[in-house]
Amino acid sequence: MSNVIQEANWKFHWRLTESAGIMVYLADFKGRRVLWEGSLPYVTVDHQRELDVDDQVEPHGPWWIPLGTRTIAGPVRVQSFRGGVELSANFVAGPYQYQQLWRFHDDGRMCPWLTILGPGVHDQHTYHPHFRFDFDLDGASDDAFERYEEGRWQRVEREGWFPYSGEADDSGNVWRQIDFGSRASINIRPHSWDDAEVFAIRYHDGEWAPFSPRSAAGSQPFPAGYVGDETIDGEDVSLWYVAHVHFDQSFPYTAGPWIRVEGLS
Amino acid sequence: MCIVAAMAAKTVRKAPAKASKSVKSKAKPASKAKLPADVVKADPALFDPLTPGEIADALRTLTEDRRVASMTKVGRYRVICTEPLVVKPPHLMAGHRLARVVAYDYASNRAVDACIDLDAGVVADLQLDKSQPMLSRDEEALAVSIAMIDERVRSKLAMGDMPQATLHYWGRTKADISYERRSAAVTFGRSDGHASLIAIVDLIDQQVIQVVPAEQW
Repeated sequence: MSNVIQEANWKFHWRLTESAGIMVYLADFKGRRVLWEGSLPYVTVDHQRELDVDDQVEPHGPWWIPLGTRTIAGPVRVQSFRGGVELSANFVAGPYQYQQLWRFHDDGRMCPWLTILGPGVHDQHTYHPHFRFDFDLDGASDDAFERYEEGRWQRVEREGWFPYSGEADDSGNVWRQIDFGSRASINIRPHSWDDAEVFAIRYHDGEWAPFSPRSAAGSQPFPAGYVGDETIDGEDVSLWYVAHVHFDQSFPYTAGPWIRVEGLS
Repeated sequence: MCIVAAMAAKTVRKAPAKASKSVKSKAKPASKAKLPADVVKADPALFDPLTPGEIADALRTLTEDRRVASMTKVGRYRVICTEPLVVKPPHLMAGHRLARVVAYDYASNRAVDACIDLDAGVVADLQLDKSQPMLSRDEEALAVSIAMIDERVRSKLAMGDMPQATLHYWGRTKADISYERRSAAVTFGRSDGHASLIAIVDLIDQQVIQVVPAEQW
């Protein structure tokens, strides 16, 4: 099967990674570059039991297993649907079962999703899928990142952590990346139950998933570990969308954003 | 990751000056000439999975590097992953076939994160730090074998319980041995997917350090 798909106004490449699920790269919409690379670097799982003593700290840390060549169950599927094309693959690791999806619509929508199928180790857990996007809208540089806040879009000057505050524009978008040259934008709409947050980080070569969310003991995990004080206005920006899925028993649940490309003619 | 800083430092913001052309060649408009090479011209083949030969080449190049001589000599390391790495123009290495090799050096308890330029046959970047990369397949198998022979684990397994999965685990607080030591969690359970027992394995000392019923995890 070819790893280049040209359908529904999109042209993109994909490959199965060792640890970051299906990676999509060099994606163009209507002949214009949109994405350098997008992947699902990790899905961590926390367990939070109800403890009797108020000040008792949950003793167990998070864990994770890479979604990739060692956990894939069956082939990567490429299927057309009305108005688009999608990739999907199942991953199984003991009690954890996932289905990763990449959906591309002919109107510019792109849906990088993860369906969590359960059952997990027990019901008191939280899943944290981490999606990473390196959008290169009509080129790598001259990008800006904005978040919808206080009733309007606001430019973000420096890299940082931007949780969903409950505010969104009329289309439900909460974050967007804009290309100065073309004025085109990538709009990101979270699922309301994702409890989502976005990390906007200035792009550096080699700074993608370091094959683990775990940095040194006592240090911030990734992607928080990448956040510094660098300016992002007018620079090349990479975005991490992190969902926090608290559902105890109501699986399957599909996490991930709706993404729409606008302004590319 | 330090590898980022090192690689970023090598980034050039302007395209290198070209050799002067023949006087017969037409001068390009200034605005065009200033445009740097951009991502739209990236070669998709650079993202292709590494071939077995490229992986072998990358590991040979890395293990010859004097900076990891102690790791190679002692031989207590595990290669976690070897995958293609693609950098964007105008980075100096844009367009090169690169391999990222991540290993864990048990002799020094450190992660090894290397960028190998396969075109040039050199280690382009090497970072040694205390981060915890994911488990290698060998480490996953080792954790299972350690857990399977542990008496505390064996005594708690029910009929039909089998190792299900091995996950990369770390402790939340310093009170947990796994806070700083490389550890794995082996889940045991039935084939229908439900877990019954969790065994935490310290991969450095190669011993089980916690055995917890799954419902109490």
